[in-house]
Parts: sequence; structure tokens; C-alpha cells
Amino acid sequence: MSAVDTAAEPGTGRAPRRGRRGKGEGQRQSVAGWLFVTPTLVVLGLFLVIPIVMALWVSFTDWNGRGSPFSSRVNLVGAQNYAALLTEQGLSRQDFMISLRNTFYYVIGVVPLQTLLALTLAIIVNQRFLKGRTFFRTAFYFPSVVSSVAISLVFLFLFTGTGAVNKFLSIFGIDGPTWFSDPRGLIHLVGDWLGLWSSGSPPAALENTQVMSLSLWEWFSGPSVAMSAIMLQVVWTTAGTFMLMFIAGLQDLPTEVEEAAMVDGANKWQRFRAVTLPHLRPTILLVITLGVIGTWQVFDQMYVMTKGGPAKTTLTPAYLSYSAAFTQNQWGQGAAIAFLLFMLIFVLTSIQRYWLRDKDVAAQRKAERAQRRAAKRGVTA
Amino acid sequence: MNRTRRTATLAVVLGGALLVSACGGGGFKDESTSTAPASAKGPAALKMLIASSGDAETNAVKAAADAWAKKTGNTVEVTVASDMNQQLAQGFASGSPADVFYMDASRFADNAKNGSLYAYADQVSDNNDFYEPLRKTFIYDGKQYCIPKDFSTLALQINTDSWKKAGLTDADVPTTWDQLEAVSKKLTTKDQVGLGIGVGIDRLGAFIVQNGGWWLNADGTAPTASTPEVTQALEWVQKNVKAGNFKMSNQLDSGWGGEAFGTGKAAMAVEGNWIKGAMKNDYPKVNYKTVELPAGPKGKGTLQFTQCWGVAADSKAQAQAVDLVKSLSTVDQQMKFADAFGVMPSRQSAADQYKSKFPEDAPFIAGGEYGHGPINAAGMEQVVADLNSKLESFGGANIPQVLKNFDTNASAALGK
Amino acid sequence: MSQPASDARVTQADRARAAIETETLLVRPASGDGGSVVARSSPMKKVAVYAALLVFALIYIYPFVVQLSTSFKTNQDAVSNPLALIPDPITTAAFHRIAQTDFPLWFMNSVIVTVCVTLGRVFLDSLAGYSLARLKYRGRDAVFTAILAVMAVPGIVLLIPKFLVLNSLGMYNTYSALIVPLLVDAAGVFIMKQFFESIPASVEEAARIDGAGTFRIFWSIVLPMARPAVITLTILSFQGSWNELAHFIIATDKPALFTLTRGVGQLTSGGLGSGKQFPISMAAALLMTIPTALVFIAFQRYFTQGANAGAEKG
Repeated sequence: MSAVDTAAEPGTGRAPRRGRRGKGEGQRQSVAGWLFVTPTLVVLGLFLVIPIVMALWVSFTDWNGRGSPFSSRVNLVGAQNYAALLTEQGLSRQDFMISLRNTFYYVIGVVPLQTLLALTLAIIVNQRFLKGRTFFRTAFYFPSVVSSVAISLVFLFLFTGTGAVNKFLSIFGIDGPTWFSDPRGLIHLVGDWLGLWSSGSPPAALENTQVMSLSLWEWFSGPSVAMSAIMLQVVWTTAGTFMLMFIAGLQDLPTEVEEAAMVDGANKWQRFRAVTLPHLRPTILLVITLGVIGTWQVFDQMYVMTKGGPAKTTLTPAYLSYSAAFTQNQWGQGAAIAFLLFMLIFVLTSIQRYWLRDKDVAAQRKAERAQRRAAKRGVTA
Repeated sequence: MNRTRRTATLAVVLGGALLVSACGGGGFKDESTSTAPASAKGPAALKMLIASSGDAETNAVKAAADAWAKKTGNTVEVTVASDMNQQLAQGFASGSPADVFYMDASRFADNAKNGSLYAYADQVSDNNDFYEPLRKTFIYDGKQYCIPKDFSTLALQINTDSWKKAGLTDADVPTTWDQLEAVSKKLTTKDQVGLGIGVGIDRLGAFIVQNGGWWLNADGTAPTASTPEVTQALEWVQKNVKAGNFKMSNQLDSGWGGEAFGTGKAAMAVEGNWIKGAMKNDYPKVNYKTVELPAGPKGKGTLQFTQCWGVAADSKAQAQAVDLVKSLSTVDQQMKFADAFGVMPSRQSAADQYKSKFPEDAPFIAGGEYGHGPINAAGMEQVVADLNSKLESFGGANIPQVLKNFDTNASAALGK
Repeated sequence: MSQPASDARVTQADRARAAIETETLLVRPASGDGGSVVARSSPMKKVAVYAALLVFALIYIYPFVVQLSTSFKTNQDAVSNPLALIPDPITTAAFHRIAQTDFPLWFMNSVIVTVCVTLGRVFLDSLAGYSLARLKYRGRDAVFTAILAVMAVPGIVLLIPKFLVLNSLGMYNTYSALIVPLLVDAAGVFIMKQFFESIPASVEEAARIDGAGTFRIFWSIVLPMARPAVITLTILSFQGSWNELAHFIIATDKPALFTLTRGVGQLTSGGLGSGKQFPISMAAALLMTIPTALVFIAFQRYFTQGANAGAEKG
């Protein structure tokens, strides 16, 4: 390969390129580069960027769904939609808080469960002596691939009052609830069972204290029975995807490290804790982050199975945003809810990243970034 | 990362957004204020959206629409909605809604206020033939928008086999609350509850009317839920639910009262005309009869439900749509619908025909005289949805608290 | 304990990159069998593992078996004997009923949309990925950052605004509304870019010296070398568009444009009359899942790779 001159072409004002190509080639690449990437930019811009801007606009108006949202008849109401959701006592705030409460319990239930289940399945499937490993890996992963609509239909059937799950529970003498029609909260039920309180006449202190349009008793309800059924379904569906990530992580563990630990006299449990888990740390982080992001956006199951019921206990911000706009014609509020959800997810994942960050690595990255910046400044003329 | 480049990109994007909105807005229609009907040139292709109770209703409506289409040379495409409110709302928002659709009384005021409906009632020459209370339901801001298509009322269904097995006779048919309570206790067995009631105010409201109360005052401007009449009525039902001789449909693992009744989980049910079709199609083996709901402390009471033929303000073929509606509202056509899926004609001139053809529906028709229509004030949908959700666990609900919440929310909604 | 060199950094935008690294780990032959060292496993342990395996396998396979058998039952049989795996009597009534609905139409719509979206994504994502990986031009970094940023936006936030945009553009209630917004996905661009960066540049250099145009190089030389990534992208696109629901809800309300997810989804809300007809919904779910199962079995290897390439289901 012969090197072509790298000096700047007179009169072009362009910085000398380190490449081995001449001016014409650079231009061709530039044109081709932009050409290749333009369809992507157009589609993403039209259907991702502009919608965000448009939604932001609508969330500050009182548009009722008829006519263009940019017409002169539509009034700018400032932060009124947001105020109705966050600061003003009323139905909108109550519904929004209910959706946050429901999804909060949903997230803290689903994420640990699906991470644990995925890790367990990965460890089991990864055992060297196992025969038919591919078959089992496939079986555990298959639900992730199937449409949520199809799975919802199956689970609706399995969880009816006289369905398969309850028939199975009756073998153990447990009288199963009418899952998807049961709005009772799990924490309330456990308290009943332990004798802490009685759901029929809740402790006055809890019931009469109102925080953000909901009583403390309602805040501490836990997920409802209906929501729990959906949680079980989602954990069952998504564990397979994360199982694959864990398998990849497990298989990457160098055998020498484990052998060294064995030679050092560590038993199986100690090996797992001191060697395997730290090695899997980045994967666990990834699984939890993806889990949090995904669970806060849950929508399909609510749309297909429960429509927010029973008694609003499966209402989530995503579904609330959709129904406020599409069924109640409150488009401004629907858009505002969507943005609040966006902010929430962003803040949560940032906090989580910060908490669980590896301090050494973070410092290293900072140093590298500073180096790169300095290098770049040195190069550009 | 180059800051100026990023701000430049952002500016371009925002500029693009404004550009799209300025020259676009292609899909959004401006609200029309003229009352002259828009008319399609040449043969019109009308879209009709209905909420069907089953195949019987769907086929009847399709047949009627096809007949009109053949006569006039237009076409009608009938669609059955799976979620009527959502599909209507999405249609209105996109500017291309169905031309003709079922408009439920409870959603009417919101849509009229929104400008989504075309008022054509003044073009119907025999408008006075429709029952006045029904017509009044569809008046907003002094103008009647549409004509009622039919109406139904709630009555009491009794499983005659269970009735006989409990040793009851015709003389025992309940006409007061106390009798209803006693009879339901006799009918309650290990596998079957005496009375099954659907969840929500669309059933519980009947008891409230029987006790002389209602959710709103007479002109629908203020809530009246925290009154003794309403509270006592609901607490009476709750007492029986706690005692076990009444059960709500969600306690019976059923989607509605009719399902509990048809699957034998309840010996009696409180349902409307539509139960006839459901029983015939889905639960043909159940023998039952219908009687009027028993009277409460303040007299007889029941709920009335009605829908009108809505025509969209955004329809491009309003004249044809109104013509279709007129043809669907003749006495003959109303009787055909009554035949097919058990609704009652909204025309007074059809009353006698109906009574003689369906004597067993006398209890439903009687309800037309003392029935109360639904809450149809504008802006109440969220409030009613919240009330219904709080009444879902009816056995354990704190009734005075729930009613107080309703009043607060309703005042806020009505005050706007 | 020192961290292994290939630890993944987790940021909102980096998550896919980390996933790519795990993907390449699957492709590379595993370095021994990390995680379960050294031959001898006690028989107790084996029994425990097999027992656990059996329980989980049952939990995972049973729902599909129920789906299969219930679709051949009568409604009464389904309701009274939900656990029974053999229908009594066996009937295909559910399938007949489905054939009478618009199911074939929904199926066709799903096929149309999926084929178009998959082809579009494979082509456009590779184009963009190649541009970002190999072609040099001003603003390239900005474009890449913009695409990364876009990946961070939760999809659900876009439901309402996408409806508004589709309406403004006059695309609402057309096939383009179903297809065009899905034609490009940021994660796919990212995957292709990562892969192209891992291909040695020497082959392209040779072609360029020989005078081949940029598109020729991309189409005839580089793309064929990217087969694994392209197949992964195909699988992901198929999965994404066949199973998509929320976007189709807001893209249209015309029944003639319903896809399988939308059409079958409304079966639960009494689309076939009041009363739950379980054999019908099970049969519909079954028919919906069969194409997915077929594609899955055929491309199994690539599916499991694709799982680690950033696909996420709530």
C-alpha cells in the first residue's frame, strides 16, 4: 500500500487527514456516509424525536382531541396538567398515585424474582453433567419469543377461579382466589393472616392519614392478587432472556480461577460467593437495569387482560397515559403522564447506575476520557 | 462532545417540528359549525360502528344496513367495536370517525360538548314519537342532537327450577325489599346464591332509585350521593352481601350478573333486556322467568338505559348518514330489532305492537314508567369510573366514605 | 480479586454494547466450562439438579401443552376439567369458529408488516451501521450520539405523540402507519455498527484500491461477511414486528388493518360475544404462536445470540 500525501490541500482549508486517501475519495465517503445514514435519521427523527417534541407541546395545552393541536383555538395552560397530576387534590392525582403505587410493587416484585430465576436456571442448565442441555435452554427461552398477547390469553385461562392453577392448589388444600377479579392487596392479606389487623376495618391511623390523595392504608396495600398473577406471568416470560445472559457470563469464567479457589480449600458455596458472583456482577447489573427499565413501562398485559382493573389495582402509568388520552380525551394529561414516566425511569436508572458503579473503574474511565480530550485538542489544528 | 453542534441539531429538529405542524395538520380537521349536512357526491361509503351484545344483534344491524344500502345505492360497512369508547375517541381524534355509531347516554354529553356530534334531530319530522324522557337524555345545551334507538330497563330474573326446589310458589314473588331478602335467603344453597348482582352503579343504582335517592340532583348540577336515601339503599344491599344471600358477580367469578345466572351460580339476577339473547344463545338449558324489581321503601324503581344513533360532525356524508338513521328507526325496523335481540322500541307508536308480541317482557316495559336514566352530565366519566372501582369490593367497602369521595369529585367535575 | 478484563459498563446507552460483548462471548468457543469446574459431582447434587430441572421444565412446558389441548376441547370441557390434557370429546369447533372471524386477514396483515419491517430493518440498519462504522465524515459522532440517546427513550412514552405525528402526516389508518415507523430501530443500527467495526478493514481497502464504489463495497463485500449479525438482526426484527402491539393500537383503528396481536387481543374483551370462550382464545393463541415456533426452531442458534443483543421485553 503506498501512502498518499497527508499534507493539507492548498485552498481547501481542511485539516490534514491521517488517512491514505485523496480529496475525491474523502468527498465520496462523506456523501455516501450521509446518504447511508439519512433514511435512519429521517425515520428516527420523524417517529421518535418529533413525537417527543410534539408530546411536550401537547402536555402544556388543553387540547381535547379535535382539530389540530397547533391550531389557535388550543390554549396553552402552562403546567396545569402537571399540577393536576402532582400537586392538586383530585381524581387525576389519585389515579396517577395509584398507578405509581401499583407499578412500584410490580417492579420490586418482578425484578428480583426474574433475576433470581434467570440465575438459577442458568446455573442449572450450565451443569456439565447435564444431558439435553440445548433442549432445556430452548424450553426456558421460548416464552420470551412468543407474543405477549398469546401468553396473556393462556394465563387468563390458567388463572380463572376454577382454572388449572386453583385446581392444582386445591391438591394442597389451598382455596385459590379468583385471581384476576381479586383486588385485595397482598400486604393487607398477610397482615390479616398474621393477625396484625383486619382488612374489613383497617386501623384508623393508617386509613385516615392522606398522603398525595391516597390514604396510608392504600399505599401499604402491596400488589393486588390480580397484579400478582400478572407478575408471575411476566417473571415466567422474561426469565429466559436473562438466563441466556447469565449463561454467557458463566461460560466466560476462566476455569483456572475456579481451580485456584478449589486448591485454596474453598467449598462450593464459598467459591460461588467469592468467585462466580463477582465475575457475574456486570451481568447482574445489566439484568437489573434492563429489568427496571422494562417493568416501569409495562403496558401490553394490562391492555389485553385487565384494562387497569380490578378496582384500579393493575393501573400503570403507561396504561393510564394511554387511557387518559384515548378513552377520556384528556390528551394534555396523557402526554404529561408519559413525560413524568420518562423522567422517573431516567432518574431511577441514573441512581441505580451511580449506586452500583464500580468506583475503581469509574475513576479509570474518567482518566481515560480526560486523556482522550487532551489528545483531541492536540490534534485539531 | 461538540456543544454547538448539538444545539444546532436541536434547533433543526424543533424547526422541523414546527414546519410539520404548520404545513401539515393534514389529518386534523377543523371543527365545523355549520348545521347543513355535508353530502357525499355520488354513492356514499358509510362506516358504522356498533357495540354488539352478540351475533344476533350484529346480524340484525347488518341486515338492516344492507337493505338501506341496496335501496339507495350506497354502501355501509358495519364494524363491531371491542372497546366502544376507545374506538370512538380514536376515531374522533384522527378526524376520520365512523359516520354512524351507537352513542351511549352516559357518554353523550362529553361528546356533544366536544363538538364531535352532528345535531340532526331537527331534521327528523316525527321526532315527537319518541318517548320524551329518552329524547331529553340527548339534549345538550338546549339542542337535541340525536334520536334514541331503543331502551332497556332492569328487572328481576328468577330461575324457576331453583324456585320450585326451594318450595316457593307464584305468591312468593317478592314485591318489597323484605320479601326479596327473605326469598333470597330461602334460595341460597351451598352451590347457589339467592341473588347475583353485577358490579357497579349500573345495577346498584336500581336500589338507590327504589329508596328515592339519586347520585345527582334533578338538573344534574350538583351531587347528592351523601344523602340518607343513597346511603341506606347501598348499606341494605351490603348487609345482604355480608350475610351471604346476595353476591356480586365478581364474587361468583363471573363477568356480569347474566353469566352468574346462566351458569347456575345465582338463583336470581338483576339484569336488563339483553339477558334474553344471552340466555337463548349461551345458556339455553336454564328455565327462568322475569318479574318487575321489588319496590323499595319509597316505591318502585329501576334503571333505564338508552343509546342514540350518533352521526359524526366530521362525517363527509352526513345527509346520507341521517337518511340511514331514519330508515333504521322506523316502527317496522325497531320491531325487527326487538325480535332479534330483545331491546324495546323507543317509539311510542310501537309500544302496543311490542306489548302484544312479547307479553313476557311486560316487566321490562313497565320499568319504562318509573325507571331513572344514567348520569349523563358532561365531565363525569372519570368520577363514575372511580366510584365503580371503589364499589368493586362491595362487601367490604366503606359506603359513607365512598359516597363522600364521589360528592367531592363530582362537585369538582361539574363545577368546571 | 481482580475484575476480568471484559467487564461490561452499564449506562443507559451502553447497555446494548455490554450485551454485544456477551453476544460475542456466546459466539466464541467457551473457555472451558466456567462455573462448574472439575469432573466429580456428587450423586446427591445430580439428583437435586435433575429434580429442579424437572420442576422448571414442567412449569415452562405445561402452559403450552394446555394451550394445545384446550384448543381441541369444547368450552364446557375446558371449564370443568382445566387440568386434563386429553380433550373429551375432541373437537375442532374452535378452529372453525376462528376461520369465520377475520383471523386470516389478521394473519395476512401480520405477515405483510413483518416481512416489510424485517427487510427494511436489515437493509437500513446495515446501511446506517456501515456508515457509522467505516465511512468518515463530519458529524458522524453527533449522529451516533443522537442514535444512542434515542435508544434511551422508553417506547411507551411515544404512544400518544406517534399517533399525533401519524395523523399530521396523513398516514393514519394506512399500511404505511403500521410499517414505516418500525422500519428503523436504533438498537439494530448499534448492533450492525459494532459488528462492522470488528471486521478487518483490509478487504475493503483492497476493493477500494481496485476502484469499487462505496455502495458496491458495502453490498457485495462487507454485508456478506456480516452474515451472523444480519441473521441476528433478522430474528430480532421478526420478533419485534410479529409481536408488536402498542404501536399497532395507535397506528390504526380500521379493522381491515388489524394484525394478529390486535385482532386476537380483542378476543379477550368479548370480541366474540359475551361470555368467555376459552377453546377459541386458546386456538387463536396457538395459531399465532406457530409461526414464531417454526422460525425459532429453524434459527435457534441465532435466537439465543440475538437475545443478548439488546432485545428486551417488559
